[in-house]
Amino acid sequence: MNNGTSAEAPLIELSNGQKQFGLFQALTNINLAINEGEIVTLLGPSGCGKTTLMRIIAGFETLTSGTLKIDGKDVASLPPEKRPVNMVFQRYALFPHLDVFDNVAYGLKVKGVEKEERRRRVQAMLRTVQMESLSHRFIGELSGGQCQRVALARALVNGPRVLLLDEPLAALDLKIRQHMLGEMKRIQLETGATFVYVTHDQDEAMILSDRVVLIDHGQIVQVDRPQDMYFRPRSLFAAKFLGETNLFEGKLTVSGIGQLSLETQDGPFEVVSNDAAVSGNDAAVMSVRPEAMSFRQSNAQLDYAVDAEIADVIFSGSRSFFHLVSLGGQKFRVQVQNMPGAALPVAGDKVHVSWRKDSATVLPLSRISS
Amino acid sequence: MTPSQRTGGILAAPAATYMLLFFVVPAILLFSYSFWISSGFRIVPDFVLTNYISAIRSPLFLRVTYNAIVIGLVTASVTLCLSIPVGYYLTYVARSKIIFYLILVTWFSSYLVRIYAWRTLLGTNGLLNAVLLQLGIVDTPVQAFLFSPFAVAITLTHIYLPFAILMVVSAMSEIKAELIEASRDLGTSALGAFFRVVAPNAAQGLIGAFMLTFILVAGDYVTPQMVGGSSGQTTGLLIADQFRKTGNWPLGAAQAFLMFLVSLVIYALVLALGRLTGLIPARRKTKPAREVA
Ligand SMILES: Nc1ncnc2c1ncn2[C@@H]1O[C@H](COP(=O)(O)OP(=O)(O)OP(=O)(O)O)[C@@H](O)[C@H]1O
Ligand SMILES: [Mg+2]
Repeated sequence: MNNGTSAEAPLIELSNGQKQFGLFQALTNINLAINEGEIVTLLGPSGCGKTTLMRIIAGFETLTSGTLKIDGKDVASLPPEKRPVNMVFQRYALFPHLDVFDNVAYGLKVKGVEKEERRRRVQAMLRTVQMESLSHRFIGELSGGQCQRVALARALVNGPRVLLLDEPLAALDLKIRQHMLGEMKRIQLETGATFVYVTHDQDEAMILSDRVVLIDHGQIVQVDRPQDMYFRPRSLFAAKFLGETNLFEGKLTVSGIGQLSLETQDGPFEVVSNDAAVSGNDAAVMSVRPEAMSFRQSNAQLDYAVDAEIADVIFSGSRSFFHLVSLGGQKFRVQVQNMPGAALPVAGDKVHVSWRKDSATVLPLSRISS
Repeated sequence: MTPSQRTGGILAAPAATYMLLFFVVPAILLFSYSFWISSGFRIVPDFVLTNYISAIRSPLFLRVTYNAIVIGLVTASVTLCLSIPVGYYLTYVARSKIIFYLILVTWFSSYLVRIYAWRTLLGTNGLLNAVLLQLGIVDTPVQAFLFSPFAVAITLTHIYLPFAILMVVSAMSEIKAELIEASRDLGTSALGAFFRVVAPNAAQGLIGAFMLTFILVAGDYVTPQMVGGSSGQTTGLLIADQFRKTGNWPLGAAQAFLMFLVSLVIYALVLALGRLTGLIPARRKTKPAREVA
């Protein structure tokens, strides 16, 4: 994994991190470096260890083995209150006996910030999250989205170097979620804080992050920029977890010197893999995004192609989705951008489907990842 | 009346009726007795303050009431201070419920047996004296352990501790561990989180535990009788005697209501102290959030 290659030392650095709960191995061999000012999301299915990893950084859990450094210092013996880290909890954890203002003021009060200064900073932060007018409401009188904003303000007002956010938007509906995502990006730019963001929503991860850390069963599967993770998944798990993809399964054979060919139901595809992850005699799979496929004539040099029959067409405004079955019997989907007046094939049509070679990724079928 | 109010009313009716018949009515009767007079061996309806005046003027009543207040406050404070760490441990630290059940099991032993146990422990030939003699701290057995306010306080602490723990646990279990983590995340130590987050949110339960212990102790008339001696007598015993021995119900009733007033005053003082120290939130906590559909 090639993260943490920037010149300055990373702000958070996990090396060989292991976490066990009794006999259960929750995190295995975690190596991760997060740089100052980055938005990094931890993405993965439910139960994969995202919250656990975050709680380790915050200081609520300790590593069974391995080291965690913040700002170059080993923080194993540092309790949560001494770490330059603030957390926004999955279920907000706002204080019910305090109103909005006092919730946000809590951290400053604890640190002994003088009253006038405290009031000024809390009010500025409430303005940022647009909760000024509700500053005297109690927590029980707020909506989910308002709670979320208070939780964000309560953490941010302390000016933490690192803000840990554990699925803060999970309880909100799509519209507020999109609004809050924008807000969060803006706040991050304004404050320059490092965000570590936990989600199991791939859209959130891709919209928000500089880098995505994909986790499966307590292991980091891939760390990459969202676009690289999407178009260059390094494992079948990554390909399937992010967005929709078509998979052409087959067996790799050596077709020449340094040349591999994927033998599928639809004939051989010459593999132009620069990835050493696959080799001859492996069961492998070619992953292609539906939007990378089209009905135009293929160029044998640049494109892969199959012939197929359209089973079904779904029109959805800006786009159309085609369900197809290849001559070899493979089911797959194509997504096309709609243009006014463009003639598109209909169900029952026999079509030629092609996609650029560099838009496809050949991945080993085994679950062992990079 | 909305349907849910009606349902609530129906569900509450049996308990409300019971309380009305066996608590409110007797309390009103008792209150009116306190203005009657006892002449000879009969009780005569009247409306005089004689009973209250003679109670307040009686040095015995003042002395035992003072005893009751001191023993009550000491026992309630010690009990609360002991039950808070146990309650905290049971709510946030313990992984199994075993200790909790063990505490409940202590109720299976009878109240009287426990008083006798303390008599044995504190008596002239008791364990405490034996240990002190062995260690050479004293050379003759200390008589003062038993038959003293100290004996009453220690026995009653033992008896009411499980009640207090139970109340503390139920108050704390309403407070999610996440709130403590949030507090620590924002810069307090674990102890700071207790005072700033747990105590204010559990305030009602903690005060409940304190007041329940106080009232039970101040009204107890068995323990003082058996381990209190003359210096450890409390109002409860004096009041009981008016009903059992002297037959002066009006005086007993007046004394009981004075004790009730004392409890109210103590409650008010505890609340004021809590507000002053910030352990009780000054503003009323609002209802919990409506469930979001
Ligand atoms: N205190 C604990 N004791 C035992 N097992 C635990 C504990 N905390 C977490 N686990 C286990 O560790 C695994 C990872 O849990 P974690 O909460 O980190 O998942 P997550 O990725 O945050 O999931 P979600 O998306 O559902 O929140 C789960 O299998 C969980 O059951
Ligand atoms: Mg989680």
